[in-house]
Amino acid sequence: MLRKLMKHEFRATGRIMLPLYLVLLATAFGANLSARGLLNTRYRILDMLGVLLVMAFGIAIFAVCIMSVVVMVQRFYKNLLQDEGYVMLTLPVSVHQQVWSKLIVSAVWFAATVAMVIAAACIVAFDIDFIKYFFQGVGELFGELRKLEAYYAVNGTAIALEVVALCFLGCCAMCLQFYAALAVGHSFASHKMAWSVAFFFIFQFAVQMVTSMIVIFADATGLDYFLANYVHLSYMASIHALMIFLIACVVVYGAIFYVVTTYFLKKRLNLE
Amino acid sequence: MPALECKDLCKNYGHTAALDHVSFSVEPGRIVGLLGPNGSGKTTLIKLANGLLTPSGGELTVCGLTPGRESHAQVSYLPERTAIPTWMSAAQLLDFYGDFYPDFRRDAAEEMLAHLNIQPRQRIKQMSKGTREKVQLIMVMSRAARLYLLDEPIGGVDPATRDYILSTIIGNYNPEAAVILSTHLIADVEKVLDEVIFINQGRMVLQSSVDDIREEKGMSVDELFREVFKC
Amino acid sequence: MKWLFSNDAPIYTQLIEQIKVGIVSGAFPPGERLPSVRDLATEAGVNPNTMQRALAELERDGLVYTQRTAGRFVTEDKAMIETAKRGLAERHIKTFLAAMLRLGFRREEIMSLLRQEAGEEGTDDAGFGM
Repeated sequence: MLRKLMKHEFRATGRIMLPLYLVLLATAFGANLSARGLLNTRYRILDMLGVLLVMAFGIAIFAVCIMSVVVMVQRFYKNLLQDEGYVMLTLPVSVHQQVWSKLIVSAVWFAATVAMVIAAACIVAFDIDFIKYFFQGVGELFGELRKLEAYYAVNGTAIALEVVALCFLGCCAMCLQFYAALAVGHSFASHKMAWSVAFFFIFQFAVQMVTSMIVIFADATGLDYFLANYVHLSYMASIHALMIFLIACVVVYGAIFYVVTTYFLKKRLNLE
Repeated sequence: MPALECKDLCKNYGHTAALDHVSFSVEPGRIVGLLGPNGSGKTTLIKLANGLLTPSGGELTVCGLTPGRESHAQVSYLPERTAIPTWMSAAQLLDFYGDFYPDFRRDAAEEMLAHLNIQPRQRIKQMSKGTREKVQLIMVMSRAARLYLLDEPIGGVDPATRDYILSTIIGNYNPEAAVILSTHLIADVEKVLDEVIFINQGRMVLQSSVDDIREEKGMSVDELFREVFKC
Repeated sequence: MKWLFSNDAPIYTQLIEQIKVGIVSGAFPPGERLPSVRDLATEAGVNPNTMQRALAELERDGLVYTQRTAGRFVTEDKAMIETAKRGLAERHIKTFLAAMLRLGFRREEIMSLLRQEAGEEGTDDAGFGM
């Protein structure tokens, strides 16, 4: 059933996201065109057009990023907590499947958005001197990194993967924070949206409190000192340990909001 | 096994009781009217049976199951408001119901949509409010469910549409299933009911067969309702 | 066929009455197959269970019969239909007479009024000549 939920979730979101990606790619072509020559002509009209095309590209990147978040929030809110909730929440599926389908589809769109922005950037840079410099720069960066790796015996690829995983899981956890805020806010009899917004900030505050408390705790107990002096880890191992600790934190943070979301959808639902 | 059974069912919103120790059962094959004035607890009861609310006390079962994933597969629910996703086309809506409900009779639904001159590619968003309501009813009645829960199916519609709705219900429900329909427009539904349940201010007032009321009291359910709920 | 219901009697007795009228008047001719219970119920706008009950009652009286696979048929027995017709007529007359007596007419007055009324409408109707 999860697959069927996701199928219809992709149908619902794809009709917004796919055209947006098309627009993004189209503006990328425009920006490429303008970078190739429009900006350096003698005609002011073409100059202006060039500027507009570049601006359109900037706006498109911004719009795609914002929209992938907006669609994520709006789908959860409209599909489960508004009128459509009467149909969705009486389907023969569990609340867990509902939340997972929304979460997975949102995560896929986040990843797709990142990929599309990168693709668009490549299109803009295509076949212009800029791209040469860019890749030269990237090459140098990797060269430096490799030197660094050699020096500290750090596995750069593994760490890069860990950073990507952390970002991805962070996005999912943020989704769940939005979901939890909406689910809690909509259990109230009135001012549902206002409560949702309030709860989002309350959750945000709570997360920050906990984070700073962990830091203070580590500091006060001398945990860092202990780790540094008594647990003998190589540089590489300590960096990995830190990354894995951060990933675990994000997973716990997401899991708490997942539990809150499913509890409120199951037990405290209060559709209008 | 009853299609729907309530034992001492209670639901409170804060300090007000929307349902107060309601007990009854509905057997398969019966069309039952859940009748009561506005705000008497009809919608609350139907939402509880659909798992959209959690009881404050007592017990409610659908075909022996507590409301949840398994019971949802047995129940075909018509909410009080139009809840079908409006961005879908008619064909996508058919896919949707067909995907989730193995008991969905797609050809029956297609035939009824064609009868209303609805093209498969037409979007729900482009339809009038009345057409959307009919489409939703068609989806609900095209399922061969064990229990139909219809919340105010004829509320706020013109007499011709009322006839359409009632004949769609009669013409399509699964005869082995129970149908529960809530309404305050009793005169219009009386002929299609086997049984009635009167509720008022969250309490059950009466459960009786329509024939018995007419035979024993010599009056229609509508007349009895006016007598019981006299202001 | 037009289906009308009053408030004072159970729906199924009214259905029996109206189907009888249908058979007697020829809307459902002798020997003809009746529509399915669900179709009849949908047409009359009543509960299929109620329609089923009415048909079962008619079946017990012998006005309709079931053939295992083919469905329900109107009886071919003309005499039986005729009896049903007389039964219906008697009931109409009884209610008519009761109403007239309540209005204070005596039997002879009622008869003469009837003759007068029937005469004005033409003498084609032999049904009342009793």
